[in-house]
Amino acid sequence: MRKSLAILILTSLSIVSPMFVFAQAKNDILIKNATVMTAAKGTLENTDILVQNGKIVKIGKNIAAPAGARVIDASGKYVTPGIIDCHSHSMLDAINEGVFSVTSMTRTRDVLNPTDITIYRALAGGVTAANLLHGSANSIGGQNTTVKFKWGHPVEDYPIADAPPGIKFAMGENVKRATSFAAPGSAVRYPRTRMGVVETMRDAFLRARDYKQAWADYKAGKTKVQPRKDLELEPLVEILEGKRLVHAHGYRSDEHLNLLLLADEFGFKVATLQHGLEAYKIAPEIAKRGTGVSIFTDSWSYKLEAYDAIPYNAYILWKNGVNVSINSDSDERMRRLNLDAAKVMKYGGVPEEDAFKMITINPAKQLGIDKRTGSIEIGKDADIVIWNAHPFSVYSRVEMTMVEGEVLFDRAKDADMRRAMAAERDALEKLDVNKAPSGGGGTSPRIPSEMRVKDRDEADQADGGNR
Amino acid sequence: MRSKLLLPLVAAFCLLLTAQAYGQSYAITNARIVTVSGATIEKGAVVIRNGLIEAVGANVAPPADAQIFDAAGLTVYPGFIDALTNLGMPAAPARAGGPGGGQAAQPTGTTPTSNSNYPAGLRPEDEAVNDLRAGEAQFEANRNAGFTTVLTTGRSGIFNGRSAVIDLAGETVSAMVIKSPFAQHITFSTIGGGQYPASLLGTFAAIRQMFYDAQRQQEIEKAYAANPRGMKRPDADRSLVALYPAINREIPAVFAANREIEIIRALDLIKEFKLNGVIAGGTESWKVADRLKAQNVSVLLSLNFPKRTASSSPDADPEPLETLRFRAEAPKCAAKLAAAGVRFAFQSDNIRSLGDFFVNAGKAVESGLNKEAAIRAMTLGAAELLGVDKTLGSIEAGKIANIVVVKGDVFGKDRAVTHVFVDGKYFEQKEPPKRDANPSGASGPSASGPSVTGRYTVTIEVPGQPLAATLTFSQSGPTLTGTMVSQLGTSQIKNGRVSTDGFSFGSSVEFGGAAIDISVSGKVSGDQISGTIDSPQGAVPFSGTKNP
Repeated sequence: MRKSLAILILTSLSIVSPMFVFAQAKNDILIKNATVMTAAKGTLENTDILVQNGKIVKIGKNIAAPAGARVIDASGKYVTPGIIDCHSHSMLDAINEGVFSVTSMTRTRDVLNPTDITIYRALAGGVTAANLLHGSANSIGGQNTTVKFKWGHPVEDYPIADAPPGIKFAMGENVKRATSFAAPGSAVRYPRTRMGVVETMRDAFLRARDYKQAWADYKAGKTKVQPRKDLELEPLVEILEGKRLVHAHGYRSDEHLNLLLLADEFGFKVATLQHGLEAYKIAPEIAKRGTGVSIFTDSWSYKLEAYDAIPYNAYILWKNGVNVSINSDSDERMRRLNLDAAKVMKYGGVPEEDAFKMITINPAKQLGIDKRTGSIEIGKDADIVIWNAHPFSVYSRVEMTMVEGEVLFDRAKDADMRRAMAAERDALEKLDVNKAPSGGGGTSPRIPSEMRVKDRDEADQADGGNR
Repeated sequence: MRSKLLLPLVAAFCLLLTAQAYGQSYAITNARIVTVSGATIEKGAVVIRNGLIEAVGANVAPPADAQIFDAAGLTVYPGFIDALTNLGMPAAPARAGGPGGGQAAQPTGTTPTSNSNYPAGLRPEDEAVNDLRAGEAQFEANRNAGFTTVLTTGRSGIFNGRSAVIDLAGETVSAMVIKSPFAQHITFSTIGGGQYPASLLGTFAAIRQMFYDAQRQQEIEKAYAANPRGMKRPDADRSLVALYPAINREIPAVFAANREIEIIRALDLIKEFKLNGVIAGGTESWKVADRLKAQNVSVLLSLNFPKRTASSSPDADPEPLETLRFRAEAPKCAAKLAAAGVRFAFQSDNIRSLGDFFVNAGKAVESGLNKEAAIRAMTLGAAELLGVDKTLGSIEAGKIANIVVVKGDVFGKDRAVTHVFVDGKYFEQKEPPKRDANPSGASGPSASGPSVTGRYTVTIEVPGQPLAATLTFSQSGPTLTGTMVSQLGTSQIKNGRVSTDGFSFGSSVEFGGAAIDISVSGKVSGDQISGTIDSPQGAVPFSGTKNP
């Protein structure tokens, strides 16, 4: 029945239940004798970390274990902060609302699905937090959600409560839809060109400005009738007021520059340029504005507007003082961000520590969550990963991942969980309700799910898998 | 002039006839009577007159003028209530049970024209009573199964409109309706046709925006009513006005949601807008029973338990453990809700066979639900949730005479309904229909109708851009093979079946560089073919003719 080992592993992972891990209590944890890559103060050898109440409370040598603490011997192992993915669509039951080009009224928070198996797989790759973004079909997309991957918890535990709100912007091919089909019966959507995209954004901000004024006039008693509460324009007013972070998808430097100039015009700062494979061309202009860039380390020329991408992008940006992070934009690549970070050491020679920061403290800063996560420092959330080897080695594996001091992935227990679930599956498959109806034969086997197009909205397929 | 004179005469004659019909009195004697509101009477009588229950008790003697039914060995129940249906609605949309069952299909019938500011699917002003078809004959199958009262709502889309509680008797709509509107119904679906919202993201934004707009509209109307001078006249937006009762908690807001995450999303909206919320479907509601209890949200629980179907059991792929669990847990839900103190009523959720309603209620009992609680969930408990318990749901003197007499265990396979009274009207039971020779239905009844083999030219009614297509069918027994050709290419028919109900098949079409799975069902009648194509993008109707 099962076609290969790969499918076996994937299907096994796909059935890990949130229930198994949720039961664990938050004990004190003492990690002993680790090589700690702090992402703040270099790499510390033979170091202990004490975790209490979900926080890192002590870092040092020979820390005594408090009574009842779980002690983990990490001799010969590497300990790092949890990896943060600054561009993800995991957990989302819908990604693009593609009818309008401005959909700032939509919120990824509404469609979070905490049963998405990619959460557990992300933890198995050392990822503990992510920026869950609307897709790139629209000039101004929906509101983001910055989450911790608290696998097994109810959905309301995922968003980081004190993370500043953000929003997705997008420019270029996916937005102007030059390469996509219009659904039968649907009209061709404006904008259709790169200049139309900028116009759409400017128009939205002008409307937001008027909206803000209308409310100000009403509150000052100048008008009698209360303006409409407009869910499209309110987040744009927050951008104008510097209260909402703009994460702007784009590939070409001319478009990035257009957006930075538009932001100058309306007096706000762009938090991150997402993808930015040509950002090296305008590194000083980006650095001057304090804007971050969140990139793929490769994907060179994978589509037309990525044609001028070069492997030295991260290095040039870093050299110019830009805050660079490396993202996945993929449920699958998310699990190997450590290796993507390693690549920037090869091309240009970004130092190891700075390369490592590109998947930890740098994205934390871009998302405004660096006060609580992104590095191993006293007082921060205990979002900690234990690796069997240096995370930049292709031989490295995550052995344990904890979020706020709660162990949510433990390789040692994973095999037991799989066995337990295999037994549960056997029992469930024997039930009448789960038996295939008789006489339904004669049909050819369908495509295994791993090879099927994902069951999300159609716009995902039309925009090159959302990238 | 002459006809004017005649009118009072005709009216008087009609009244006389009515009085005669309602003056008819019945007595069911020697019966075991499950009153639901009080103790079960092991042997007693129920007297019905003028549409009402005149008397009930162990020592009630049948009146002299009553037609007497000796019910020795039979059990009398209050008429069963189905807490959510599309009965009486034209072109009832198919609402699939099981995974994703909360997502309503797009309307397959013609969309009525409207001058609303909002597109179809975002029209809370739609009223079930406006669409309800008159006449009681259409409910025969439901009455024969023992149902006398249902909640009905017939719309698809996001705001499905307002439902009505109806009795399954009466030749006019006005005679059928018990309560209207009961509730505003909401489904987390999209509206299709290339219109906003086209994704779940937009669905939530659209719902929220309409609630906010309705709140504001109401404030402005109040201000204008108090002092219109110098104030611009507010829009008379009846879509928003229709939401007032829901946002003012005057009527419930019923959210269709089966999966845990769908129910949580509904509970979040109920909290955000302080709605009087109800969950419809609720297959996984046991997982959030504590929250339902805390928010005082009740459940119209589907008895259309998820089943494994041929098309959802691909051989190449072990089913997700979640799906296996979903099916195994469904019958246990009611007992868990009862234990947690969550109020619920049973609904059929477009179950294929009404007999399964009782069989599945029996499975809920086997899974730990108290038998009395199960009866309550289809009688008085349902009446309470629908706000009609003063007149319906139990056998008490003075209540509406909705009565059903059952032979055998009501949850057993041998159950048979022997007598049904709706509004005091006796509906004679025909011989119970012969059981299907192949009750599993898995391989389908053998197609006894004419073969559907042939070539059909059809038009697929994609909104705004009808697509021409050719269907080539080859039928061999119950198996259907062939192709579907359109401008999207040629697709092979897979899993094709033909039964007396019509044909169905699956296929996939290439669109936008991706393969989209579709499922097609329909009927051939003479040279005419019609049906529905369902895809992840929604459902569209098609129709056409057979090529000579």
